[in-house]
Amino acid sequence: MPKERSDLVQGTLDMLILKTLALEPMHGYGITVRLEQISKATFRINAGSLFVALQRLQRAGLIRTEWKATENSRRAKYYTLTQQGRKRLDNETKEWERQVAAIARILEAS
Amino acid sequence: MSILRSMAAGLRSFFRKDCAERELDEELTGFLEMAAEEKMNEGMTRQEALRAARLERGSLEVTKEVIHSATWESFIETCWRDFRFGVRTLCKSPGFTAVAIITLALGIGANAAIFSAIYAVLLKPIPFKDPDRLVFIEKQNKPRGWVRNPISSAEIVAWRSQSGAFDDVAAYKEKSCVLTSAGEAEEDPCEVITSNLFPLLGVLPIHGRTFSTEEDQPGGPRVAILSYRLWQKRFATDEKVIGRAINIDGDSYTVVGVMPANLSHLYASSYDTLPDLWLSGIALSPTQVWNEYFGIGRLKPGFSLQQAESQLDAISARIESMDPDLKDWRAQLMTLRTNASGDTRSALFVLMGAVVFVLLIACANVANLLLARSARRANEFAVRNALGASQSRVVRQLLTESLVISMAGGACGLLLATLGRKGLAALAPEALLRSAPDLAVTAADFRILAFTFLVAIVTTVLFGLAPALQNARPHVTEILKETGRSSLQSPRSRRLRSALVVSEIALAFVLLIGAGLMVRTLAQLGHLNLGFNPTNVLTLRVPLSGERYKEPQSRVQFWDQVISVVESLPGVESASVSRGLPISGWVGQFFTTAEDPTPPAGQVPDANYVVVGPHYFHTMQIPLRAGRTFNDHDTNASERVVIVNEELSRLYWAGQDVLGKRLQIGGAGPWRTVVGVAGNVLSQGPDAGFHSEMYIPYQQFPWLMDGPKHLVVRTVGNVRPQTLVRSVVQEIHRIDKDQPVADIATMEQIALEPVAQRRMVMALLVSFAGLALILSTLGIYSVLSYSIAQRTREIGLRMALGAQHGNVLRLVVAGGARLAALGIAVGLSASLALTQLMKVLLFGVRPIDPFTFYAVIALLAVTSILACYIPARRAMRVDPMEALRYE
Repeated sequence: MPKERSDLVQGTLDMLILKTLALEPMHGYGITVRLEQISKATFRINAGSLFVALQRLQRAGLIRTEWKATENSRRAKYYTLTQQGRKRLDNETKEWERQVAAIARILEAS
Repeated sequence: MSILRSMAAGLRSFFRKDCAERELDEELTGFLEMAAEEKMNEGMTRQEALRAARLERGSLEVTKEVIHSATWESFIETCWRDFRFGVRTLCKSPGFTAVAIITLALGIGANAAIFSAIYAVLLKPIPFKDPDRLVFIEKQNKPRGWVRNPISSAEIVAWRSQSGAFDDVAAYKEKSCVLTSAGEAEEDPCEVITSNLFPLLGVLPIHGRTFSTEEDQPGGPRVAILSYRLWQKRFATDEKVIGRAINIDGDSYTVVGVMPANLSHLYASSYDTLPDLWLSGIALSPTQVWNEYFGIGRLKPGFSLQQAESQLDAISARIESMDPDLKDWRAQLMTLRTNASGDTRSALFVLMGAVVFVLLIACANVANLLLARSARRANEFAVRNALGASQSRVVRQLLTESLVISMAGGACGLLLATLGRKGLAALAPEALLRSAPDLAVTAADFRILAFTFLVAIVTTVLFGLAPALQNARPHVTEILKETGRSSLQSPRSRRLRSALVVSEIALAFVLLIGAGLMVRTLAQLGHLNLGFNPTNVLTLRVPLSGERYKEPQSRVQFWDQVISVVESLPGVESASVSRGLPISGWVGQFFTTAEDPTPPAGQVPDANYVVVGPHYFHTMQIPLRAGRTFNDHDTNASERVVIVNEELSRLYWAGQDVLGKRLQIGGAGPWRTVVGVAGNVLSQGPDAGFHSEMYIPYQQFPWLMDGPKHLVVRTVGNVRPQTLVRSVVQEIHRIDKDQPVADIATMEQIALEPVAQRRMVMALLVSFAGLALILSTLGIYSVLSYSIAQRTREIGLRMALGAQHGNVLRLVVAGGARLAALGIAVGLSASLALTQLMKVLLFGVRPIDPFTFYAVIALLAVTSILACYIPARRAMRVDPMEALRYE
């Protein structure tokens, strides 16, 4: 069994997906693996929440899709960040940092 | 932007479902395989790896479901599925469905019909510029209790120049004109107006212009504006009419404009129809105190009606000393809307309350049906629950089903409302139809549609929510264990159903009380002695205008001739003339008595001033209490005489011998001797009570006002007055073919006018209460029948143990009677408070009328017992053997 799992802070999955895709276009499983690796398996992402998030981002025009062959020559849907998505990621990152800093200050103060 | 994109994407996947589905399938399969491949690299077999991946990441089907249900289009899809399922389920039980839909259709239909009336009368915008700032300016005399009086030129001038509350004030006076130069002579309602009236209302002529300020002079150019109707009827919509000279009452006027066809008459406070002619020539003088004008003003923004009124009051107080006739008079302002709706407002609110009650009863009934039905469907919901349907999902499905019912009910209700509106228009008093012509238009307005739709939605929640919530929490295991046995009724559900029945009876009780009070009111009005006998009396009006009748003597001659020929007609018992008719309009006039010839200003006595012909008292059957009636010896040459009514003699000569007393009318002219005392007449309708009246013989022609114009004809017993119209009009035209005959009506019609609105309210309340009674009786019946069906075993057991038929009967009836008694008690206490709201509609009956209350209690008690009796009979016939064999 995997180590202790944490639930993602509400609403952050979208931001994390955008961040992941900012490096390079990726397919769904690729995103999962990348997120889990970088978080050192703190987060475990199931297919349902991942694809719901991807569907939402796509409908909001933040990512676009394309069928391509994987390195294992399998056909997969690749997700790419759009211009709009990049902008959103910037905004969300800034906002996130601001909030984290604020929370940290509060926690240190007490 | 993103909403649009989301909608587009949703629609794409909605319509290319297969394609989207395949793509998702492929993507997810790929996802799981990649996950499995990784596991296989760690040494698992392919099968193990796939299983582990599914466990870890979620199975293909569940994931697909999760992804799909996150989209908005899936919500609609589910609704649509629930809808189709609902329709199918309902079609399987057509009896239940029909009853539920009809019940709701009645409730919703009644609401839509009354709402459409409220819209037509109270809500529809009045078609003038910014109509909410337009106010009627009339005056009242509080110390003497006179209200809604016309105003004088002096007051208009003072108010207009000294008050800052109005943007502008216009004035008009009403008049009947006879237009002689275009076709047959005919009397047309017309108005003399100030030039600013139409600009103030914000209406423009379709041809020509309105008046200019130079034309606001009695000696200025005589100009006229035509109504569209008159233009069409008399001038064949000829645009060249502008500039033409026409002859009105013997004077020549130049036509300067034509008003549009859709001009509303609602700016006029007392006319029920639009005038056909507007004439120039009002010069407002600051010293003239004759009360002949109606004022209409446009309030400045930021001024309330009360503020404006108190401003005008301050001005009135300043000018009061100018003339004794101005003493104690203060402005009385009223918005156009209030004036147009008049006393209909309270009637409509009472009716709206009544239909809301009917709808609530209908909802309670349908909720009851649903509860009974869902008890039978308990298995279905237990199975759904066991298969993983969440509570909210079940509630949603049931509410969709309820929505199907209420939408169907709403659609049928709309049809009923259209019929109902026809009935309403037929019942409505004529005055109401004139001020709200839309009442008679039965086309469905989108507002009515929206209202009905809204009511249907609210209804769904009202009747559907409780049963749905009840079902969403089934005791799954218990129900499934008992498969085969139809259901078990929880005590909670039984209490809910009883509560519904109790509230139905309470609501029906209130409605029945309302209807009963109105029936009593109408009965009281029907027995009311008006002081005269309106049956068999024909009335009509001849305006007697023009050069020929300028001299009073010529009018007397005209009427002498008319009366003698009409009285010789077969079927006529007697005929007479009068100035004005009781109920439809008598005018007051000041007088002084010989005992007190100079009363202080503001305390001058007044009485209705009625000029009549010799046989008037006989024709109207007004009893004479003392002295004599007028006769042919009361001429211009003889002693001036007057007949007063009992009320006048009571007020001014109480306890004295009235005959021989003297009074002077209008503060000038001859002194008149009282020769008779007539009985009191309800001259202003049943609510106004008695007023002082003085009758003057028309041969001693009064110098005040313009003399008698109404012919009254009493027919002999079996001749209906309407049948004489032709011959009477013929005789009048034989005497003067240029005299138009107007306002032909029977006195009975005139006497009914003040009660027409109450009659409408009564008819509607009685039908709503009847409906309520039927629905609530059905409610008791269905609850009891259902509980008997549920208790068959129990009853069988009781009988097997020796209970007699009588015991069973008592058991069932007592159950029903308890509910009825509780309902009656609740309804009784609600009625005690609610009937106060309909006080203004009642006449001769107190809001808490013991007779009505006892009658309604008895009626409801009897119907409830009857409703219990049928299921009780069924319970008595239960065969213990059979009932117990089911075990």
